Amino acid sequence: MRPWIDRARFGAGMNLQQQERRSARIFLVSMCVFLALILGFPTLANIWFSFNEVTFHNLTGDGFIGFRNYRIALSDPRLWDAVGYSIKFAVICTVFEVGFALLLVFALHPLLLRRPWLTAILMIPMMVSPALMGVMYRLILNEFVGIVPGYLEKLGFTLNFLSLKYIQFTVIAIEVLQWTPFAFLILLTARQSLPYDLEEAAAIDGATGTRFNVLVVLPLIAPAIIIVSFIRFIDSFRVFDHIFVLTGGGPGNSTTSLSIYIYKIFFKQNDLGPAVALSMTLLVATLALLYFGLKLAVRRDPA
Amino acid sequence: MIVSETGPRDRIVGVLRWVIFAVVAFVINLPILATVMTSFKTNGVINTSPPPLLFEPTLEHYIEVLGSGRTDFPGYILNSIVIGAGGSLLAVAVSFPAAYAIARHGVGRSWLLPLVTNIRTLPLIIYAIPIYLMYQLIGLLDTWTGMILIAATISIPVALVLFVGFMQDLPIDLDEAGKLDGASQRDILWKIIFPLSRPILVAVLFLSFITCWNEFLFGLILTTKEAVPVTVGATFFVTSYGVKWGATAAAMTLGILPPLILGLFAYPYIGKGMLSGAVKG
Repeated sequence: MRPWIDRARFGAGMNLQQQERRSARIFLVSMCVFLALILGFPTLANIWFSFNEVTFHNLTGDGFIGFRNYRIALSDPRLWDAVGYSIKFAVICTVFEVGFALLLVFALHPLLLRRPWLTAILMIPMMVSPALMGVMYRLILNEFVGIVPGYLEKLGFTLNFLSLKYIQFTVIAIEVLQWTPFAFLILLTARQSLPYDLEEAAAIDGATGTRFNVLVVLPLIAPAIIIVSFIRFIDSFRVFDHIFVLTGGGPGNSTTSLSIYIYKIFFKQNDLGPAVALSMTLLVATLALLYFGLKLAVRRDPA
Repeated sequence: MIVSETGPRDRIVGVLRWVIFAVVAFVINLPILATVMTSFKTNGVINTSPPPLLFEPTLEHYIEVLGSGRTDFPGYILNSIVIGAGGSLLAVAVSFPAAYAIARHGVGRSWLLPLVTNIRTLPLIIYAIPIYLMYQLIGLLDTWTGMILIAATISIPVALVLFVGFMQDLPIDLDEAGKLDGASQRDILWKIIFPLSRPILVAVLFLSFITCWNEFLFGLILTTKEAVPVTVGATFFVTSYGVKWGATAAAMTLGILPPLILGLFAYPYIGKGMLSGAVKG
């Protein structure tokens, strides 16, 4: 044994590795420069704008006005209505999507194990642009030519899903119908990664059917449930496309989510300051939420 | 082993699973089914209530949308193709080398990877306003270039996560062997890793293209005439052609077709990409 040679080789390896790490940084340059230009620069500009008086015609912003833009933006009661609406929308959608997805995993897992290609049929809605999905629902729910009211009428129900009375239900239902497949796909993947003999082992202990699903499967896929709930909550909270296409935020402001609210105050008023200040506030709030959310997630899952 | 379902009770359960599958598949895909059917109906048939299930199909709406010269729809499709292709190629071009540095050398794993994957979770409206102002200053509003840059930006997070995940699973011996032969890092990346990454490259290109094609918010804000994508153009249809449901349905059908076709190949990666983004981010 000649340990000094091994030690020498080991030492050289460390240096080489460090050297490699340093030269590998060059491969990050293009992505970092790109993101800095497209996202970093506007963020800095946004900070500048948010403390200045800016209009579409005066973009340099020559008057420093401190926190006035923030005060104006945050004191508008319609903002808090929009925040409330987004939270309510996101919570309801997430609960229904994850709940339905879970039930579907329990019901369909054995079938899809034998015929995996059937899964693709259930994935179709999430390939479709939410904006176009909104337009398609406008077509099939239309009270004159729509297929849904047409057949419901034949069954004796007269419903206009796009009317004031049902529009809240409709925009939530569309989101749930389009994105339950996503939650389903994630939970199905988690379910399929469980060992095959689990079911037999549980059957010996007397856990079959529903008991097996609730007592054995549910705890094992709980991490996936938490992650998918988190993703769906964030995506639903920033909802814009299908609501904008269907209602434009109305009637009144009854379906104005936070994204739609910011869009409206930016494009319908020449006073850019408050809109900019608001988007900065949302950025900081989101980053804070992510930071603490991740801290929790990391504590939960050290891998 | 899968517990087999052979007894009479099990057979009923088996049938029940099929019924649940059929009902769910029908309900969630109903808007697509109905829209495709409507697009092949004559105006007379469309206005019949309740809508008939059997009818003589016609191509008149497709001819009106694509070939009559009375709509800008072919232009919207071209815009979406250019934006989708340009955006996904650009996203791959910048994130593939970055993924190599992260997966193979651990550079930026602790800060860059989480930072980039978190972009996916930000509400896009935050960036819509400053990017609008920046584009106005440098003249990128309503241009292909401007839209391609945005398309690449929204595609990068998932692309990066999928590339890093894939490269981590490639045996490190490949790099070591290359190094022994005197290959530089650049050679290892482009001559060893790149050819092996073909399946993931295709999946990422497809997924990015779907993401870019389906994007709506930036298209709405940053384009007005020249670079309008299909998702935004289709909504013009509803407002300006309000009663022309046949033409609208034909436009919708064409607008959802490309992502559907690509998605059938790429959907297993959607879950993977988003899931790993959340886990590692």
